Amino acid sequence: MVAALRRTPPALMIVSLAVGLAACWSTGALFGVLAPLGALFLYARGYWLLAVWIGLLIAFAASALAALFYPGAIREAALSLGALVAVGACIGLLLVPAPLRRGNHSAVPRRPEPGQPEGFGPVPAHGAIHPDDRAAIAHAAAYAFWTGVPQVTGYRLRQPDGSYHWTELRAEPGYGVSVDIDAMVSRPDDRWSVAESLGTTMEAVKAAKVIESLHGKAWAFDAMGRFTYVTPAAQVAIDMALEDLNRRLGEREFIDGGEAGWMRGVHPDDVDRAASTLRHCLKTGEPWNIEYRMLRATGQYVWHRISARPTRDDNGQITGWFGTSIDIDVYKKTEAALRAREQHLEQLIDTVPAMIWSMTGAGHPVYLNRRMMEVTGATTETVTAPDGSLTLKRMIHPDFLEQAERTFARSVATGAPYAIKYLQYRADGTYRWTETRAEALRDEAGQIIRWYGVSVDIHDLITTQTELHLRKQELTRLVDLVPSFLWRLTPTGAPNFFNRRFIDFLGLDEGSLEQPQTEQYAAALKAAVHPDDAARVWAGLKDCLGSGRPFAMRYRLRRHDGVYRWMDGRAEPLLDEDGSIIQWHGLSHDVDDQLRVEEALRESERSLRQLVETLPALIYCAAPNGEPIYRSEKLREFLGFGLGDKDEEGKTRLTGTLDAIIHPDDLPDVKERYAHSLATGSPYAMKHRLRRADGAYRWVETRTAAMRNAEGEIIQWNGICFEIEDQVRAQEALTLTQERLARAAQAASLAELSASIAHEVNQPLAAVVANSHACQRWLTSDPPNLERAQKTVERIIRDANSAADVVGRVRALFRQTVEARSFWQLDTILHEARDLMLEEATRRRIRIEIDVEPGLPPLALDRIQIQQVLVNLIRNGVEAMEPTQRGALHIRSMRAGDLIRTEVRDTGAGISALEKVFEPFFSTKSNGMGMGLAISRTIIESHGGRLWAEDNQPSGATFIFTLPAEAKADHDR
Amino acid sequence: MIVDDTIVFIVDDDEALREALGELLEAKGVRSALFQSAGDYIGADKPDLPACLILDVELPDINGLELQRQIARDDHPPIVFITGHGDIPSSVRAIKHGAVDFLTKPFSDTALMAAIGSAIAQDRETRAKRAEVALLRQRYQELSPREREVLPLVVSGLLNKQAAVELGISEVTLQIHRRSVMQKMAASSLADLVRIAERLEIPIQHSRRMGGI
Repeated sequence: MVAALRRTPPALMIVSLAVGLAACWSTGALFGVLAPLGALFLYARGYWLLAVWIGLLIAFAASALAALFYPGAIREAALSLGALVAVGACIGLLLVPAPLRRGNHSAVPRRPEPGQPEGFGPVPAHGAIHPDDRAAIAHAAAYAFWTGVPQVTGYRLRQPDGSYHWTELRAEPGYGVSVDIDAMVSRPDDRWSVAESLGTTMEAVKAAKVIESLHGKAWAFDAMGRFTYVTPAAQVAIDMALEDLNRRLGEREFIDGGEAGWMRGVHPDDVDRAASTLRHCLKTGEPWNIEYRMLRATGQYVWHRISARPTRDDNGQITGWFGTSIDIDVYKKTEAALRAREQHLEQLIDTVPAMIWSMTGAGHPVYLNRRMMEVTGATTETVTAPDGSLTLKRMIHPDFLEQAERTFARSVATGAPYAIKYLQYRADGTYRWTETRAEALRDEAGQIIRWYGVSVDIHDLITTQTELHLRKQELTRLVDLVPSFLWRLTPTGAPNFFNRRFIDFLGLDEGSLEQPQTEQYAAALKAAVHPDDAARVWAGLKDCLGSGRPFAMRYRLRRHDGVYRWMDGRAEPLLDEDGSIIQWHGLSHDVDDQLRVEEALRESERSLRQLVETLPALIYCAAPNGEPIYRSEKLREFLGFGLGDKDEEGKTRLTGTLDAIIHPDDLPDVKERYAHSLATGSPYAMKHRLRRADGAYRWVETRTAAMRNAEGEIIQWNGICFEIEDQVRAQEALTLTQERLARAAQAASLAELSASIAHEVNQPLAAVVANSHACQRWLTSDPPNLERAQKTVERIIRDANSAADVVGRVRALFRQTVEARSFWQLDTILHEARDLMLEEATRRRIRIEIDVEPGLPPLALDRIQIQQVLVNLIRNGVEAMEPTQRGALHIRSMRAGDLIRTEVRDTGAGISALEKVFEPFFSTKSNGMGMGLAISRTIIESHGGRLWAEDNQPSGATFIFTLPAEAKADHDR
Repeated sequence: MIVDDTIVFIVDDDEALREALGELLEAKGVRSALFQSAGDYIGADKPDLPACLILDVELPDINGLELQRQIARDDHPPIVFITGHGDIPSSVRAIKHGAVDFLTKPFSDTALMAAIGSAIAQDRETRAKRAEVALLRQRYQELSPREREVLPLVVSGLLNKQAAVELGISEVTLQIHRRSVMQKMAASSLADLVRIAERLEIPIQHSRRMGGI
């Protein structure tokens, strides 16, 4: 501001003076004069300024005296004036520049700040530049701007003291370097001189002056190298007068290799070169062109280009030299700066963690940064084909080579940016994923002049991406392949993910994506749940969503083909760190088949249970240790109590139960056998008496076997219990009959038979007699015991009848009567006879097999007699077979014409005399009577049939008897 | 002959006959016990009374004759055999072995009762004899060892003197012993003592003659 004001013309001072006076006049205050006073300070120089200061001093002194000596208004006015003056002085101090204030006239050159040597200082405002240089500066700047060619321009810059100082500006497009030049330093003791005699160099000095007029600096020296003229300014600048320059410093003249004074002003590094070339030129007359550093008066070495040419006389003899020196320091420094910058840039490029390269517009590689060379092991040579073009063979993995070359060729042809990802060769022999991008740099005409490219190692990225991709793929596959349905719900219950199987199950059409996936899924799910389950499922789900409890439910889902399948659905919430639900992960498992199996199992179990409960047997189960764990309904009914009803303190349930239900006589045996089975695992079978609910003991047969698991361990005992009361009774009766028959058979000789008959008859007779006597006794006693008598009489009748029966039978046997005959199924009699003999046959391990032709008519016969015959034949057969033979006795009965033919076939030794065996008293057995077969034949013949024997092949005998099928019961006889 | 202090054991496998006999004996006022087999009879706890055993020859477990043989060594009631078909050899054998009678079924009540009567009488007698001998044995047991030595010599008919020499004691001492024996054995005379010794089956060790020679 201050500087700007300084440049305003003196007219401003007049204006400010006028404004100030007007203000004084109008306000009546003296402060108005401050403005013109300020203007005075601003513009006054030299004596004028001094006059202003003196004026102010006098005014201040006068006002002070007036204030001291005059009272009243004058004093006040004086004080005001004094204050005003003081203020004016202060303004003056502020406005007047310090050097002037100090009255120091020596100019301090204005230099750029040392901290920013490369900074490009602003071009000084026009006002600070010498008016003569303005046009040149503007021209140079414009030229630099428009052409891009750097321009160096010297101009004079006005210093604060009003003097001008030479400065050079280097103008370049984009950047500039400001270089300090201070050649024009003027010093108070500037000294320069002119040679007294120019000698032969007259012409050279003349030429030098011409140059000086052109260039501002010139000099001349004679053929010996002694300066005869140097532009005074130059002498000042190097602070050397002619005498100094030409002073001989050693023994020899300069031309002879001695040292001259001017050499002191040359940089020690350059001085030998400068001197030797000059000597050479002086001797040969060749023009002298050299660049060296020259010591300035300021103590700095400054680069100069020196050129000198000889002048010659008519004879061609060198008369002198003239030349000039041009300050090229700024160029040198600029060059150095540029070189440093380029180096820096190169370093930058080399240190950037990327591989950078460039090539010509035609695709010839020209540059690879260091990193690229280090990393790939390539050099410009290795990527250059013999014809100079780029070859990528050593850089790119063979799989990508073709593609890369195609892309590259296309980019070179069209100029399109080049971008490719490939496996790049590495110095260590590996290949790594690399992405290369290149862009073309074009000139003004649009011609490609350079390709600049960068290659970035993206191997880790690619491998990570690949890995991620693979992992994702794997996860997706897993989720889709899991043999379950996976799904995901938002916290509000909207499904946002179904796995592939679920989608397939529901038959969702992936293609129809008009509606958002969530809605589509929700709709599909809603439609798929079985209507009967829907309410339950949605309510359950809602409850879980609200509470955050895991969801678990079984429901039916409709498959895409319309079939409902049972699902076991489960879902659990995924919680974030503060416990709120992010989403629900669910799994539905198709349990339809399982449920069906379970249902079938249940059904089968139910039917088995029913089977067990309805079987006409008493069934029970026990634990491996024998403790009862199950009883069928029938068994509970039979016993009249349940499983736990007989539990007693100090007794196991087993013991308690056994004590309660087993007949005391059988108990020890049962317990022992049962314990044995439990200990050994062997099946248990026993006949014993079991107490029925009404207290009666009934004979039962109990069988228990162990049920084992796959490892063979007993897991349960299963038992069954038959009531065999009737069997036992029947068995008892059977045994009795058997004994009688056996006895009868034994007594089957005539003599024995009679004795047997006598016994059979006498037995009841003896009873009759005894009872009769008893009866008589009861009747004759006093008083008669009628009751006992009655009882005795009943016994007499019974026994007498019994005797009569025996007698009757015997009669029938011997008289061959048919009185006792009635119609019987032969089948029945065969089985009765077999049962009678079964015990004996079993003892001898012989099977008795009966084969009766179906549909045989009932026959009229004496059951006992035929039974006796059969027993006799069976006994004979059984006894004929060896006990170890384990043979079988076959009894067959069939129709043969009018006869019913019955065969009893054994596998014994056979019979030697087939007819003799039927003769009385013939016996092959040691204890035999020889009567059995005789009587048997008598009996069969009395029935109208025949009995004979045949030999079997290979062994054994067959006894055959026939009975007439149409035989009538001869009741009328 | 209604007697409460007798009992008839009946062993017959035929229930009708067994009952009938029981009934008959009851009507006759005779106490009876019925057994259906020999085993039952042997195993039964029987009262110690004058008794009779009516035994069927044909029994389911062991034959009646066999039973007779088995119990022969013991004191057992006299046996009356009954049989459905008595043959001579078996009846002879039965009688030989001490059976009271061998009745063939059917038999009359008189025959049966006579047989029972004689059997019981026989048993009574046997039992009385057994009781008397038992008493004598008891008395014999009370004799001192020396007296037991004296007794056989005395009943053998040796003179006091001879007996004293035999035993190496004085005649006076022997006489004291002899008197004591007589008293202890409740013998009224020497003849009586001789009869007692006979009952006790005390062997006569020395004869007077032998001693005399």
